[in-house]
Amino acid sequence: MGKVKIKRKSTLIDMTAMSDVTVLLLTFFMLTSTFLQKEPTIVYTPSSVSEEKVPMNNVVTVLVSSADKSGKYEDPSLLEGKIFISFTGDADSTLSSEKIRLMMLDEALNIYNEQHKNAQVHLTPAQKAVFGQTNMFGVPFTELPNLLSMTPNERDKFQGDMANPKVGIPINDNKDYNGNYNDFQVWLKAIYNVAQTINREQGEKLTAEERANLSNLYTALMRKGQGIAIKADKDTPFTTVQRVFDNLQTMKLNKFSLMTALKSEDEPTQ
Amino acid sequence: MAQIEQSDKGGKKKKGAQKKMSIHVDFTPMVDMNMLLITFFMLCTTMIKSQTLQIVLPTNEDVKKEQQNQAKASEALTMILDTEYNGDKPAVDAETGKTIHNIYYYEGVADTTFSTSKYLTKEQFIGNQNRQPQGIRKILRGKNEAVMAEYEKLKTQWKNKEITKDEFDKAAKKNAADSNKVRPVVVIKPGPNTTYEGLINAIDEMNINQISRYSIELPTHTDTVLLRHYEQTNNETIIRPLVRKTSNQ
Repeated sequence: MGKVKIKRKSTLIDMTAMSDVTVLLLTFFMLTSTFLQKEPTIVYTPSSVSEEKVPMNNVVTVLVSSADKSGKYEDPSLLEGKIFISFTGDADSTLSSEKIRLMMLDEALNIYNEQHKNAQVHLTPAQKAVFGQTNMFGVPFTELPNLLSMTPNERDKFQGDMANPKVGIPINDNKDYNGNYNDFQVWLKAIYNVAQTINREQGEKLTAEERANLSNLYTALMRKGQGIAIKADKDTPFTTVQRVFDNLQTMKLNKFSLMTALKSEDEPTQ
Repeated sequence: MAQIEQSDKGGKKKKGAQKKMSIHVDFTPMVDMNMLLITFFMLCTTMIKSQTLQIVLPTNEDVKKEQQNQAKASEALTMILDTEYNGDKPAVDAETGKTIHNIYYYEGVADTTFSTSKYLTKEQFIGNQNRQPQGIRKILRGKNEAVMAEYEKLKTQWKNKEITKDEFDKAAKKNAADSNKVRPVVVIKPGPNTTYEGLINAIDEMNINQISRYSIELPTHTDTVLLRHYEQTNNETIIRPLVRKTSNQ
């Protein structure tokens, strides 16, 4: 009987297959990922059973800031109800977010300057270009030139400081003392006008049937009520949200959607 | 990293024969790097997309007094919402960790003479328990029985794959707006201390119970009188000063 020889096996494992798998996974994640957009404040949306998804394109998000939870401020509830807006354009590049933003900005400035002849706001082309690349903003018109001259880091820091009275789009008074629109309403008006212009331009060459199937910001606003999405924290008092509703109603943009998280029907609400 | 192994067996080699070379490339660092990248992308992606709740409000211009009172008394149900507060933060249920919302509802037209013994009834958003609706959901379902019966039928059909999801959605929408059935008209009145979640819960109940006619209004003087009456009869405090001040920009 010979001795049983234990064969020495090499411990090298072929990693090629593993590498293949990881590369596939990586490709999947890279293609499906949409990056978290930077927002000046964190909100936790309440949950509902609605299964409708927030559209990816052609949506205007209105962010309502919530009470500060970091404990940095003396009276956190005073930081509530600041308004930020973000625009998202079409999926294809003809009307990208950047173009939509610039159209909105021009239209909004026109409306604003028309109403405030003595305190007009003018932006340089460079500042406008910066606006085209900014995802979310929330300052009064008078602060826009200042905000758009900052570096991205400064801008994030500036907009993230909720205690600053210059942050947040003014919304409180339904009409200002001259009977003009408040800043938020100017933006809403601009959104409506721009959406209408886009719809008219796109619909010009189309037949009636094709026009009915158009999907752009205007149809999202008017037909589906998906054009404007409001994002507010679950603990925000109704009085604050009501103010946003009220402004939307005044501007006749009374079809909109509220952002929520998903829950099941059987889940206890309380 | 990469090794080139020469296989020389036996030592005897034919001259001129090509050397057999097997090339091993060690992929371990590559895998490491890929894993890191995957982790990065996984953490950065937002897989769960937010849901939306559609809402249509009247424009400020076309709300007229006469229109508001059009609903038949037998069909009307008014819900006054309130959120409990603990200091300046919404009070949280110790067991579930959820904010406590109360609903004070009445049916029909408000009767401020208080001839009926109990006018306002207190309820909560409880949802389902053992698949049976509880709390305010039970009340609302009871008011919308005709529609809900048809809705359940449609749902079974859809689950048995007799109709598609699109057909089901369409039929459900039509069913909810069917004027031949007895349907309630619900008025949601969020009190000043209601949080946004309370409002969403209320709208959510409307969707769950297929109530197509509802409106969101601010509480009126009558509602305050009713709440006062409820406070007195039940020895509770509901009407409080605004817990949270709202900022003035």
